[in-house]
Amino acid sequence: MKFSWFHLMPWRWLPQDFRQRYHSVWVDVPNALYDPVRGHRLYNEYLDMLEYADQVGFDAVGVNEHHQNAYGMMPSPNIMAAALARRCPRAMLLVLGNSIALYNPPTRVAEEFAMLDVISGGRLIAGFPVGTSMDTNYCYGQNPATLREKYREGHDLIIKAWKTREPFAWNGKYTKLRYVNLWPYPIQQPRPPVWVPGLGSIETWDFCIDHDYNYSYLSFSGYKRAKKMMDGYWEQRTKKGADDNPHSAAFFQQVCISDTDAAAEREWWPHVDYFFNNCLHLYPGHMGAPGYMSEASLRAGVVAQVGNTGQNMGRDKTWKELVDERYIVAGSPATVRQQLEELAKSLRVGHLCLGLHIGSAPIELTNRSSYLFAKEIMPHLRPLFAEYDDRYWPRPLATDDRVAPGTQTDAARRNAERPAAA
Amino acid sequence: MSSTMPQSRTLALGAGRPTIEVLEAGEGSPLLFLHGAGGIRTWEGALPLLARRFRVYAPLLPGFGESTGLELLDDQLDLVLHGFDVLEALGVERPAVLGESMGGWIAAEMAALRPKEIGRLVLAAPIGLWRDEAPVADMFGMTTPELVPYLFHDQSNVAAQRMLGVSALLSNKDDRTEEQVEFLIGLARGFRTVAKFLFPIPENGLERRLPRITAATLVLWGKQDRLVAPSYGRIFAERIPGARLETIDDAGHLLLLERPDQVAAAVTRFLAA
Repeated sequence: MKFSWFHLMPWRWLPQDFRQRYHSVWVDVPNALYDPVRGHRLYNEYLDMLEYADQVGFDAVGVNEHHQNAYGMMPSPNIMAAALARRCPRAMLLVLGNSIALYNPPTRVAEEFAMLDVISGGRLIAGFPVGTSMDTNYCYGQNPATLREKYREGHDLIIKAWKTREPFAWNGKYTKLRYVNLWPYPIQQPRPPVWVPGLGSIETWDFCIDHDYNYSYLSFSGYKRAKKMMDGYWEQRTKKGADDNPHSAAFFQQVCISDTDAAAEREWWPHVDYFFNNCLHLYPGHMGAPGYMSEASLRAGVVAQVGNTGQNMGRDKTWKELVDERYIVAGSPATVRQQLEELAKSLRVGHLCLGLHIGSAPIELTNRSSYLFAKEIMPHLRPLFAEYDDRYWPRPLATDDRVAPGTQTDAARRNAERPAAA
Repeated sequence: MSSTMPQSRTLALGAGRPTIEVLEAGEGSPLLFLHGAGGIRTWEGALPLLARRFRVYAPLLPGFGESTGLELLDDQLDLVLHGFDVLEALGVERPAVLGESMGGWIAAEMAALRPKEIGRLVLAAPIGLWRDEAPVADMFGMTTPELVPYLFHDQSNVAAQRMLGVSALLSNKDDRTEEQVEFLIGLARGFRTVAKFLFPIPENGLERRLPRITAATLVLWGKQDRLVAPSYGRIFAERIPGARLETIDDAGHLLLLERPDQVAAAVTRFLAA
């Protein structure tokens, strides 16, 4: 198994009565609630958490893209990944990801991902979400009726641009370019591994299976729905004749670890409460613009999400309910170890994306949790699914061929700062 | 009375073009009715009244009723040309056109693109313009029940009550009947069509084309329209040469449903003139 440390980067200071006073945490949440000076400290604290994850041995550090969102303050995940590329010399860079249809032309995504792959020595995992309706339709004005078609065209262009070594013309419906010619192109050829996050739509499963991409289920809705969704994914793979390689799936799980179960509840509850009751305050009218979801997905049981009022996203639940229903996996290292093992086996996921920061949690609490995870849990779960080849993981340059940031500074400085010639 | 109830028929517009359902009712000179974002779920409001005086043709856009082929209409130009394809298939020449809301926008675009092919024009609370000081409400960013106060002045209206009833179908549990699921999907399908041409802001340059319209034009507006402010009615009337604005009291955006008698009378007066 592999373990990615995944950050959402929530704003920490939403008012206590946020839910009563505001419409939503997303799209039209007034940015008067934001404070860039506090934001300066928060970004740097959050990046420190990710850097620490690299230091204690997580396999990847993960970031994602949201817009106009008070629980996800990474409108540009590539900027975060660039900041991490040099400060996290070991871990893979999981950018989950760039919503292709938002970029005009989509070669911008191909270029920036190529830059990240080259800077990091081939450590990039390229995430291609369609993007939520909030992000793509309401914040970025994309047409919901054509979003997926535009996404797919952009995807085809990016994949071709990455592996093509001479200029070519692209006459698409959504993008027309006389000369496509990437400088740079990625180290990983013909492409970095691609992961596609989704919420259970059949089209996304098929897309992943057809291209042999990793399907990443990003759930905040507890085990029951996760089980239903992942079972659907595995059934679809069987139906399409794909193998049952667990590494073809990743799963996002919020995890809170303290020294004991009691300490976990005491230390983490305020931050968990903040996340589920403030951060996940979503407005149903923005959850699916008309045409965003296909009729097949609507019909196949995603229907419950159409009229979703947000209540199944952990709102107003007690600590015990959230733990029992696995909205969070929380407790002592032994408790978390046992529960995550059950979860990984039952959902058959070879990749865990761990939300080890949650809500308003500070770095002290978060890093303790990360440390306990790395020391007490990771070694035990590591051998799971080892018999399967992980073809969904980066193939970076050998460590000796990778340049460590700053190694050339001393020699260059001696030369630069030498006494002036007479 | 029975002649004012519609007959439905299917119209294939030819290879590579949509196949649509048309509702037809009444006897008299032809009146083309272009529906709004809600389609025509029930033959009610001003429609049966108009069918007492006119032969009403009400084609449904792809995604509404039995009409299919949205994927064959890429953009606004395709949509407007589709309107003329429908006229040709119906065999109706230079008809009077009544367009409501989104249908009003399409009717205005048709009349601007081929002015000689539209007889008279009635625009009932058309969309298609934008003023920062009176933003059109975001019909794509609300749940169906939340839209009701924007569409109706009087929420006790039977059509308003039907829309409010949709909230009973919105649930977190997978506990809906197949029929209810299909009903919701039908709503989503129609609204997808609307979004394809009008998301996120229903304005695509109509204002500069309005002066091309040569048809005699009547603009109708509900005084209590909260979706598209009545101030837009004045802009339509100013930009379309010779157009006249008539406002109707105690009516919201869906004035054909809220004030059927007044609307039918105004349309009849105008078309008889």
